[in-house]
Order: sequence, then C-alpha cells, then structure tokens
Amino acid sequence: MLALKVEKLNKKYEKFHLEDISFKLEKGYIMGFIGSNGAGKTTTLKSILNMVHIDSGEISILGKNFIENEIILKQDIGYIFGGVDFYMKSKVKNVTNVIKRFYTNWNEDIYTYYLKRFKLDPDKKISELSEGMKVKYSLAIALSHNAKLFILDEPTSGLDPVARDNILDVFQELVEDGERSILFSTHITSDLEKCADYITYINNGKIVASKTKDDFIDSYRIVNGSLDKLDNIKRDLISYKINSFGFTGLIKTDRFSETDGVRVKAPSLEDIMIYYAKKEDDDE
Amino acid sequence: MNNLLYKDFKLGISPFFYFLPVLTGALMLIPGWLYFIVLMYFCFITVPNMFATYKTQNDLMLSIMMPVTKKNIVKSRMLSVITLELLHIIIAVFYAIINKNLYNSATYIFLEPNIAFFGLVFIMFALFNIIFFPMFYKTAYKYGAPAIVSNAAIIIFASVVELLALFNTSIKMYLKGPDANSIYLQVSILGGGVIIFIISAIIAYKISVKRFGKVDI
Repeated sequence: MLALKVEKLNKKYEKFHLEDISFKLEKGYIMGFIGSNGAGKTTTLKSILNMVHIDSGEISILGKNFIENEIILKQDIGYIFGGVDFYMKSKVKNVTNVIKRFYTNWNEDIYTYYLKRFKLDPDKKISELSEGMKVKYSLAIALSHNAKLFILDEPTSGLDPVARDNILDVFQELVEDGERSILFSTHITSDLEKCADYITYINNGKIVASKTKDDFIDSYRIVNGSLDKLDNIKRDLISYKINSFGFTGLIKTDRFSETDGVRVKAPSLEDIMIYYAKKEDDDE
Repeated sequence: MNNLLYKDFKLGISPFFYFLPVLTGALMLIPGWLYFIVLMYFCFITVPNMFATYKTQNDLMLSIMMPVTKKNIVKSRMLSVITLELLHIIIAVFYAIINKNLYNSATYIFLEPNIAFFGLVFIMFALFNIIFFPMFYKTAYKYGAPAIVSNAAIIIFASVVELLALFNTSIKMYLKGPDANSIYLQVSILGGGVIIFIISAIIAYKISVKRFGKVDI
C-alpha cells in the first residue's frame, strides 16, 4: 500500500515553478526529499498538505484523496515544519493539553512513555527546549495520536551531530513495524546516507529522480581525468569542475563508457546535488 | 472547531483581555461621557494585540497542522472575537445600570447609556467585523491596515450618530427626545442592532473564508 502518492503537481509563482512533481512513498519506508535551498522542498511539502494552493495535480495519502478527506487524513499525519516555533512561552504540558483534543486516537500512555524516553520535561516552556528536544516533542505528539505518515520539513537542520544521529535512530525505529512511513526533507545528505530507503531529488522545481537510495546513487558516476580527456566526455557530463589536476564531473551511469585515463567512482549524495546545482548555474 | 476555540482562549488570548472589559466598562460611570468610546477600547486595544500575538506565536501554522479545515479556522477565530465583543457589551451593560441609578437626574449631552444605545453598539461592532475580518483574511497575518480601517470606520460611525442625535431633528426625536424613553422603541433599536450584527458576522465569515482559501501558508 502507498503511504503517499503525488501526481503531476504544478504550482506556478512569479519567479518559480513546481513542475510536474510526481513520486510515491511505499508504506513502511523512509524517503529523503533532497534539494538545495530554494529547490522547492518546503513548497512541495506544503502543497501536499493543502497549505499552498496547487494549480493542478493530485495528492493521495494512505490511498485516499487528500483534498476530499483532509480532516480524516490529518488525523493520521504527523508534521514538523521548521521545529516547534509556536507558543514558545507556553509550557509543554499546556500546549499538549490543547493539541491532544484535536485527535480522536490520542493515547495518553504512549505520550507519557515518549516524554520519559525523550527526557522531555512537561513543565518546561517550549522556548527552553533545545532544537533536538523540539523535534522529539513533535515526534512524541505525532506518535501519541498514532500517525501513520510523518511529513517532516528539515527536522535535522540546526541539530548538533549527536542529536541528529539520535533522531535518525528514532526514525528508523518508527518504520520498523512497517506501519509508519516518513517523508523528510533535508539538505544534510549524510542523514539520508544513514537512514533513507528512498531518495527523491528535486532541483529547481523539478524532480530529477525518485528511486531507492542505492539505485539513485548507482545511476551516477563521478569521473575525473586530465584536461585533454575532457573534450571527449564533456557533452555526456551533467556538469564538471576544472582544477589544477584536470577535471572532475558527474555523469549518468548509462552514458558512461570506459575510457583510458578517466577514473571513475561512485558519487555521494552530496556530489550529485553539487553537480546538478552547478549545471543550473552553468545553464544560466 | 470547539478545539480551535479552546486553543484561542487557553493559549492565544492573554487573561488580561478577559479582565480588560471590567476596567474599560468602568468608564461608563463617567457622567455624560461619549459612551461609544468605552466599547471602542476593545477594537483599539484588544483586537490588534490578539492578532499580534497570533502572528508572533505562529498560531496559523499550529492551526493548519491540526485536523481542521481553513473554514474552521476562520469560524473559530471570528467566534472568539465575537465572544469577547459580547463580554465587553455585557459588562458595559452592568456599569450602565449603575450609571442610571447613580445619576438619575443627570443631563446627557451625548447618547444616554440606555437599551437603544446598546443597539447602536451592536451596529458599531457589526461595522467593525465586516471590515476587519475580510480585510485580515486577504493575508491572514497582516492585521495593521484592517485594524486602522475598521477602527476609523467605527469612529466615523459613532461621530455621525452622536452628531445626528444632537443636530438632526428627526433622529434626535428617536434617540433623545421624549419618545426616546419608550421601551418599545428602545428594544426595537436593540433588536435591529442585534440583527444587523448577526447578518454582518455571516457576511464577514463568508467573504473571509473565500479570501483565506486563496492564501498560501
């Protein structure tokens, strides 16, 4: 069963266009939604949740059309949009007391369990929580209303490496039973190397690829060689950089053929993002 | 929807604003004052402060993430403001009763705080709501311009009513002349005010929902 299906989503702004965004997330998996700043990650996530009006396209969550079943489906979704930054001077317990009334499936025992597990003090004010604690608080809320789909916009940005690692472990634990799915956007690619099953890569409002992490990485190669080899391979490269030793570039695996004097290696997610961004700059 | 109201009353609105009508209402005890001002304090002070709090506390983000629709968000926000408007009116009525008993031989240059006056207060709030909410929901966060325009409108309304009651013979007859003491006339003005208030709230809600629907959050 699909946790999320986005089909041909379009949204036009004056200077930016989300164009034919389509991808699917299977139930029980973690999908990393990557792209550089301004690539359209947050706009896509907001469009999925009807916070932004789309010009065309269809969103279904857990097999149901989102627009038609907004209230019911929102009961099954857990969110993080840039951390908990509402009612910062209110105590955790007071904010929870308000939020829990909205959810028919709220389970107080689960909430108490996660508060203890995440070492969250309900008497603290939201503003007194560290960034990592705020993410954990949002997760505790989502888990307590038994969310099936977690849509998290940059949940790990602004966290120190230990807190990030900790949160990523929690993500993996969440999907273990195959009932919950996570879509999270990030520009910190090392997070995805640790825990994502699928990668959806968005660049300048268009989806470049949406596939399993291994397939995604495997579909590209980093090539480098001396400058005299560049001309032969140049038109197949997505983009390249020149340095004093020669050139380094990104190529689609199916476009690459063994050439003498050109070294090849598997790219990291970061390499793919950087070379695609460079392509945009070069095109401009 | 009730949950959104609970959120507004519990988290969004400072308890100070539940107490404020007790303070502003006491101004009804100033003999022969311009009593419209007593109720205007709600529009001058409470509304801009409430909406500033919602904006700085990122209330819209919290609301939209909850299992509610945009329609519910508008309805609950309007109901919370209307509840406070009614609270201001009710408390002002108590002070008006004290006023009438304290100064039963007083001469009122401006409108007397009688039943008809509160009918006109309802019309004043109707005017405020029908301007403020539709203007606010064009953006759902900019409250300054809607507050200025709606407050200007109610000041003009109150001024015109007071001036007409002073200088226009036919209006003066209804609001200040010997006939103005008729309970029947006064209750009719109150009833008319309440009806206008309700109709204005419904229209303001419909326009606001339409406008808020188009807002990207």
